[in-house]
Amino acid sequence: MESPRNGLALKCLLSGVAVGVAFFCVLAYGMTTTDQRSFCASCHLMQEAAVTHKMGTHADRACNECHAPHNLLAKLQFKAQAGLHDFLANQSGKDLSCPATSTIRAVVNENCKSCHAQTNVTGAAMDAKFYCTECHRNVAHMRQKPLSTRMVAYE
Amino acid sequence: MNKRIVNLATAAVALLGAALLSACDDVKTDLKAPVYKTVLKEDETRMSAFKAAFPKEYASYQKNNETQVMTDYKGSIAYHKNDNINPPPHGFKHAQPYLKNLWLGYPFSFEYNEARGHTYAIEDFVNIDRLNRYGADGKALMPATCWNCKTPKMMTWYKQYGDKLWSMDANEFRAADKISGMDETINCANCHNPTNMALRLYSEPLKDWLKRTNQDWNKISRNEKRSLVCAQCHSEYYFTHKDNGPAAKPVFPWDEGMSADDMYRYYMGHGAKDASGKTGPFVDFKHAASGVPIIKMQHPDYEMFVDGPHGAAGVACADCHMQYQRVAGKKISSHWMTSPLKDQEMRACRQCHADKTADFLRARVIYSQKKVFDQLIKAEALSVKAHEAVRLAGAYAGDSAADYDTLMKQAVEMVRKGQLFWDYVSAENSVGFHNPAKSLDTLATSMESSRIAVDLALQATNYGISSAISGDIEKIVPPILEHSRKLMQSPEHLQNHPWLKLLKPFPAAPQVWDGQIRLTSEATAK
Repeated sequence: MESPRNGLALKCLLSGVAVGVAFFCVLAYGMTTTDQRSFCASCHLMQEAAVTHKMGTHADRACNECHAPHNLLAKLQFKAQAGLHDFLANQSGKDLSCPATSTIRAVVNENCKSCHAQTNVTGAAMDAKFYCTECHRNVAHMRQKPLSTRMVAYE
Repeated sequence: MNKRIVNLATAAVALLGAALLSACDDVKTDLKAPVYKTVLKEDETRMSAFKAAFPKEYASYQKNNETQVMTDYKGSIAYHKNDNINPPPHGFKHAQPYLKNLWLGYPFSFEYNEARGHTYAIEDFVNIDRLNRYGADGKALMPATCWNCKTPKMMTWYKQYGDKLWSMDANEFRAADKISGMDETINCANCHNPTNMALRLYSEPLKDWLKRTNQDWNKISRNEKRSLVCAQCHSEYYFTHKDNGPAAKPVFPWDEGMSADDMYRYYMGHGAKDASGKTGPFVDFKHAASGVPIIKMQHPDYEMFVDGPHGAAGVACADCHMQYQRVAGKKISSHWMTSPLKDQEMRACRQCHADKTADFLRARVIYSQKKVFDQLIKAEALSVKAHEAVRLAGAYAGDSAADYDTLMKQAVEMVRKGQLFWDYVSAENSVGFHNPAKSLDTLATSMESSRIAVDLALQATNYGISSAISGDIEKIVPPILEHSRKLMQSPEHLQNHPWLKLLKPFPAAPQVWDGQIRLTSEATAK
C-alpha cells in the first residue's frame, strides 16, 4: 500500500486543499476589508461619507452592509462593477453624483429593511415613502448638519 | 510566457496588498482645514501677492467680476435701487421707488445701488455720489471709517493713525497713490492670515464686539468662523458720537440683541450728550421733510440670518455662499461670493438638500422673497405717509389738540421706529430668505408704527390735516426718481417735487474727483 505513487497523490491533494483554503481565506479577507470604511475612505472623495459614517449610529457597521447587496452572488458582481466605476470616475476628477443613483438607493433601502424588518412588521412603513431615509434623513450621511462638521478642503 | 504571467500575478498581488495596507487608516472626525506656510508677510494687503501660491482660489475669486446676471430679486447688476422705471443696468423691475424720499436729507438719497462682487468694492466706493466729489477742498464730508469694509488696507492705516483714523476725511485716502483700486479691494487678507491662511479677523468693530462679549477668536469653532468672517462687514453699524468715544469709530449695535427691536432700544442711547451729561438717543440724520431724527440701517445680513432657520441650525454663511467644489481633483471652497440662485443646479443647497430638485429649491426661495418684497413696498409707502403726516402736522396753523406737543413727540418716535424696522428688512440682502418669519414680523411692526404715527399726527391737529393726507400716497408724495449732488445744485430740479422744494440748493461747483483722479489741483483750492 505504501507505493510512492499514492504518497504523491495524497501530498498533491493535501497541498491542493491547503492552497484552496488559503486562497479562499485571502479572498474572504479581501472581500471583507474592501467593505470597510478605512478602505473606502482611502479616496479623498469619500472623506465626507466616511466622517459622517464614523460619527453616526451605524459607525460599527461596514460601509457595504448598506451599500452592497448581502446576497453573495449579487454582491460579487455589484462590488466589481461599482469599484470599477468609482475608480474610473475618480481618475477623471468627477464628483459624486448627488443624490446617489437610484441603483444605490435601492440597494441601501433593501438593506435597511433586512436589518430592521422586526421593527416594521406591523407598521406600513414602506407605503408612504419610497425610501426609509425620506423620514430617517440623517442616516443619509448627516446631510442636514452644517458643512464644517462634514467636510474640509484638501489638496 | 509562463514567467510573464507569474510576474504579472505577483505584481497584481503586491499592488492589492499595498492598496489594502495603505487603506487601513481610519478617518479622523475632527476635521481640520489645511494649514499652509507661505512666503507672505502678515501685513500683505495686495490680492495679486496670493495668486502664485493659491491659483485655484484666486481664479475662483476672480469670478466676482461677473456683473451681468440678475436673479428674480437680486443679482450683480449695480442698478439704482429706487429705479423701477428704467430697464437694467439703470433700473430693475423689483426696485423700491420711495427710497430717495425716505432718505431725504441723507447721502443715501443721492445714490444707492445693488451690491455686486467684492472685487468692485473700491471701484464702486470711489464712484458713489454719497461721498462728496464737488468740494473745492477735496473733502468727502464723510469719515475715513467709510473705508472700513472696503479694503484690508484698514489694518495698515489703523496701525499708522490709531483711533484718529476714523474721523479723518474719507477722501484723504482716495487717490491712486494711497490705494490700488483693484489690487487692494476686499481680498484674501480680509479673512486670511497671509502667513498660514488660517481664518482671521481684520475688523476692529467685530474684534471689539468679541471683546465686549468675552469671546476669544482662538476658541471659536471653525463653523462659527465661517460666518464671522462675513459678519466683519455684512452687519448693521454706526459711527461713535464724539461725546462717547473716538469720533466716528465704527460700532456694531448688538449689546441689546440683534433684531430690529433690540437695535431700536439700543439707539435710545449712544447719541450726543446734553448739557447735564446725559446721553441722548442716537441720530443718523434729520429727515429733510418731516424733521424726524432717523436711524439708518445698513445690510444687517448677519443679524437677520443668525436666528433664522439656517442660522439657528448652525448653518454658516460659507455653507451656501462658498460651496465646496472639486477643481482638478482637489476640493476647494468656492470663493465666488454671489447669489446662490445664479446656479441653475443650485449645487450649494443640494450639499444638504440632496433629495430636492433645483427648481423646487428656487421656488421655495422665491416663495419667501415675493411675500417679503411685496410687504416691504407697502411698508415703505406707509412710512412716506407717516413722514408727510408729521410734516403737515408740524406746519399746521389751525386749531390743534390740547396735548399737541405730547402727541407730536410720540408721532415722531413712531415714524423713527417704523423706518428703522422696514430699513432693517430693506437693507438686508436676502429679501427675507435668510429669515422669513423675522422679515415679515419686522415689516408688520414697521407698518403698525407708521400707521400709529399717522393717527397721532391726525389727533394732534384735531384731524385738520385729514383731507391733505387722505387718498393715494403716490399722488400726494410721488416717488423721487432722480436726485444727486449735482442736481442739488440746480434750483429748477428742486422745484420738481413737493419734498424737494423743502431743500436748500447746494452752491454751484464743478466736480473735483472722478474715481481716484483729482480733476482740480489742490493748489487751486487754496
